[in-house]
Amino acid sequence: MTGVRETLAVARYEFRMQIRKQSLWITVGLLACLLAAGRFGMGPRYAPAPSGAPAREVMTRWAFLFSVILPIAFGMALADRLLRDRRLRTAELLASLPPGPAGRLAGTWLGSVTATGTPALLAMLVAAGYEAVRRGDPATLGWGLAAFAAVLAPALVFVAGYALVCPLVLTAPLFRVLFVGYWFWGNLALPVTLPTLTGSLLTPVGSYAASWLLGTPVLQAGIPGPLPFLRPAPTTSAAAASIALLVVAGLLPLLAAGLLRTRRHPA
Amino acid sequence: MEIWRHEAGRLGRAACAAPVVAVATAVAVAVLAAGNGAGRAQVSLILLTGLEALLPLAVAMAATSVVATGRAHELHLSLPTGYATVLGRRLGLLAGATSVVAVVFSAAVWAAGLWTGPPVIASPLVWGPPVAWLAGLAVFTAFLTRSMLLATTVTAGVWLAHQMFAPAFAARAWARPLHLFPASRLDADPGWITDRLLLTVAAVPFAAGVLILLRRPERMPTEEEV
Repeated sequence: MTGVRETLAVARYEFRMQIRKQSLWITVGLLACLLAAGRFGMGPRYAPAPSGAPAREVMTRWAFLFSVILPIAFGMALADRLLRDRRLRTAELLASLPPGPAGRLAGTWLGSVTATGTPALLAMLVAAGYEAVRRGDPATLGWGLAAFAAVLAPALVFVAGYALVCPLVLTAPLFRVLFVGYWFWGNLALPVTLPTLTGSLLTPVGSYAASWLLGTPVLQAGIPGPLPFLRPAPTTSAAAASIALLVVAGLLPLLAAGLLRTRRHPA
Repeated sequence: MEIWRHEAGRLGRAACAAPVVAVATAVAVAVLAAGNGAGRAQVSLILLTGLEALLPLAVAMAATSVVATGRAHELHLSLPTGYATVLGRRLGLLAGATSVVAVVFSAAVWAAGLWTGPPVIASPLVWGPPVAWLAGLAVFTAFLTRSMLLATTVTAGVWLAHQMFAPAFAARAWARPLHLFPASRLDADPGWITDRLLLTVAAVPFAAGVLILLRRPERMPTEEEV
């Protein structure tokens, strides 16, 4: 229990520190505003739902509009998080604190996910409030939360795991380049042009969850391509499997880094 | 020579390696695609995308890291050589490394018979203007906002928007010259060379903005901010 308490204490500290970063709020706010303002010209997939559409469809469309680019900000924000401890020479000081390396890493991840997710959640709630007033349907608030949990949150968990750990090996600039390239390749490029994971269960853009919420395949969910076993028809169980897979895949780099750190610096 | 060696060291391994990593990634994806049964035209397009799109992104990110690794600005203020000169040298080295990598890569792709798009002699216009524009945007945003998060996210967001909404650029006459990746994402255009020169000119305001911001050393990003 002490370990859990210590990890939660690290997470609280991390959350408080990151939530005060003005650049995080400005970046997410700027991207969300640009996406919202430009959505009319971005093609039918991203266009606002027609009038009379159910709240579930309205808010899922907002969620996948945001999920296309907002996770880039999550990755960029977290890319130098652990490197900063080294650069500012606080790593040794933090190592002297009660939580072990694994607990510190888990707490940093948890705090980072909640802090970077907060502006995104707020953006969804603002969109839900706007739709609630415009359409006179307060159910958009509840569906806004549901769409955030199903579409954006798994993307954030997935991205955060890699964005925290990979730069320790790759360096932050290289990770950022490869991450943006990956985001385009693994989420948006079509399998007919490249061998890609687009439209599979492991697509963090949330194609399966969005398809489930909308009741119709979107964002290439289940499109034929490499690794066909990862491309079932977008059903409820496939959406649940996609969310679970993204969360587990996002935790893998943390697990590897935690084990490595514990072996190097046993408590 | 000694000063250039020193500046190359200050650039850091990651920044120096960025152009090579970009083209190596393109080659790896092309090999993967070829192994997956992609045709010659598709492989050529992937290699062209590496040169036109991936290389500028890598160089822009490396340019922000050049700003981030700049240290001891106060010391620079007391030296005869200003920080603007030092930054210019480092970005110049990055531009030089990028040019060498891009020219060698273009020549290798052409020699392998996989070159597609405009004539190979005009290949510098494929990668030069987007490199200049995107790197200019990245460095300008870094100095303007004093935030690497904003600089890298804005750069990445713009890059991604140009990839995703290429048809929207093609549909508007005023936006077409400003599209970063016409060779790989848009259809052939007779005014291609003029468009590329216009894009290069569009990078000038960023350079001017950086020079203006550098005249206010108190506004430079600090070690904690980067």
